[in-house]
Amino acid sequence: MLPLISVFSGVLPMIFYVCFLNRNKQGGFWVIFLYCLISFLTDNVHHELRDRSYVFYLNSSFTICEFGLFTLFIYLSLKNKPFKFFTLIGVVLFLVIALINLLNGSGGTIFDSLSASAESILLIIFSIFFLYEQLTDPTVIYVYYLKNFWVVLAILLYFASTLFLFIYAATLTKQEYNNYWSINNVFNILKNILFSVAFLMKKSDKAHHSLDTAYADMQ
Amino acid sequence: MILLEVTSPGSSVSLVLFFGTIGMLALTIGLIVFIIFHQRKVIRYQLRLQRMEQDQQKLLLNASIRLQEEERQRIAADLHDDAGPLLATARLYLNENLVNLDKTTQLQSIYNAKSIIDDTIQLIRNISHSLMPPTLKNFGLESAVNDLFQKISGSGSMNASSRFHDYRERLQSENELIIFRVIQELVNNILKHSNASFIHLTQNTSGNKFFIRLHHDGRGITQNDFNKLNKSNVGLGLKNIQSRLKVLHGKIFFEKDMSQTYYKVTIELVKEEEDKLQEQE
Repeated sequence: MLPLISVFSGVLPMIFYVCFLNRNKQGGFWVIFLYCLISFLTDNVHHELRDRSYVFYLNSSFTICEFGLFTLFIYLSLKNKPFKFFTLIGVVLFLVIALINLLNGSGGTIFDSLSASAESILLIIFSIFFLYEQLTDPTVIYVYYLKNFWVVLAILLYFASTLFLFIYAATLTKQEYNNYWSINNVFNILKNILFSVAFLMKKSDKAHHSLDTAYADMQ
Repeated sequence: MILLEVTSPGSSVSLVLFFGTIGMLALTIGLIVFIIFHQRKVIRYQLRLQRMEQDQQKLLLNASIRLQEEERQRIAADLHDDAGPLLATARLYLNENLVNLDKTTQLQSIYNAKSIIDDTIQLIRNISHSLMPPTLKNFGLESAVNDLFQKISGSGSMNASSRFHDYRERLQSENELIIFRVIQELVNNILKHSNASFIHLTQNTSGNKFFIRLHHDGRGITQNDFNKLNKSNVGLGLKNIQSRLKVLHGKIFFEKDMSQTYYKVTIELVKEEEDKLQEQE
């Protein structure tokens, strides 16, 4: 039941994106919509594939795609030039790791543990870049009024929670893998809920409004 | 289920995975909570700063209003107490009965009235000069300061001297007046409170900065005293100096000389600010 809910939770942000298209036209939210679409299609294809090596290649391709789209979103959200530069270096690093992983082949496993772990670590770092930038930006009064914040929060929570799962996925037995994969399912649902929150939110001026209004709100 | 898996013997990988995931989740939530609370703390700090600045501005504004009122009262008192009685006396000499008096008395009365009117003219001129010194208007800050210092020296109570090293180009007349008022206020304070035997003023420039320095050998104040007085309800003259210099984006420093013998007051202005103000006009 949980895997099914996890797969179909991906539909929720897509519905919100389409319903509130005007709110989500700017700020690179189409990238997240595209990700949700690809993720939903991949999950469905995943269930149909029987050959283990095909599943490995599908997972690897999806990891590259997922990393590319999330990095693009964070890159578009960042303003700090050194952070943007480090993001590009991270992309190159990840591509090297992912290509090595792909060329080495599945080795009997269905999950691309190496590239998924690298993806998690890099995306956690990029998310921290974004949060640090918001923390040091004096014009941002309430970070949680930013739509981008909820997307980055979803990315950070999902990859922080599944990092250890991805690292150990290749070494787990089938039984352990099935048991622990529920962590991924739970946080995938949470990620999709947070994406939906981001798509549902109006673009608020409160994120950047004046100190006087901030004080009035704090009372 | 996961917990059971973790607690089963010999599953070290599962243990690491379980606690690693919990740890990462806790770290992430901790990070988010920290960011939100830190932002609120920063907002509170900025608000406190803003409030302090507003309070300071309010103090300066009140000081400036009070000074303006005091000045008006002084002018009103001068006109009422000095010019008023003089003109009333002149009117008495020139009353309607004048035509009935003999020629000698008439001439005496007219002479007296003329003399009183001359005094009144002088009095009004003095009031007018105190409002806007003609030397400052016509010949600039250097001449006005020299004039002021000569008058102080001439009184014999104190030795006052001034020297302008680099004042070939005059500042804007409004700015000259502000600087002159600040100097007047400082000199006035020195005369009233310091018990000094000399005042020496020097002017010079360095790069785009314009400096005026005042030295005296009496009792003075340091920067800490100035800051304290500025925040308190006393020290009206100092607040006036501060508010005047704020208009010019200038700074003032009160310090004791290296030799610990003299007190030094330095007024610092940026010449570019002056140019910008000119451009704005």
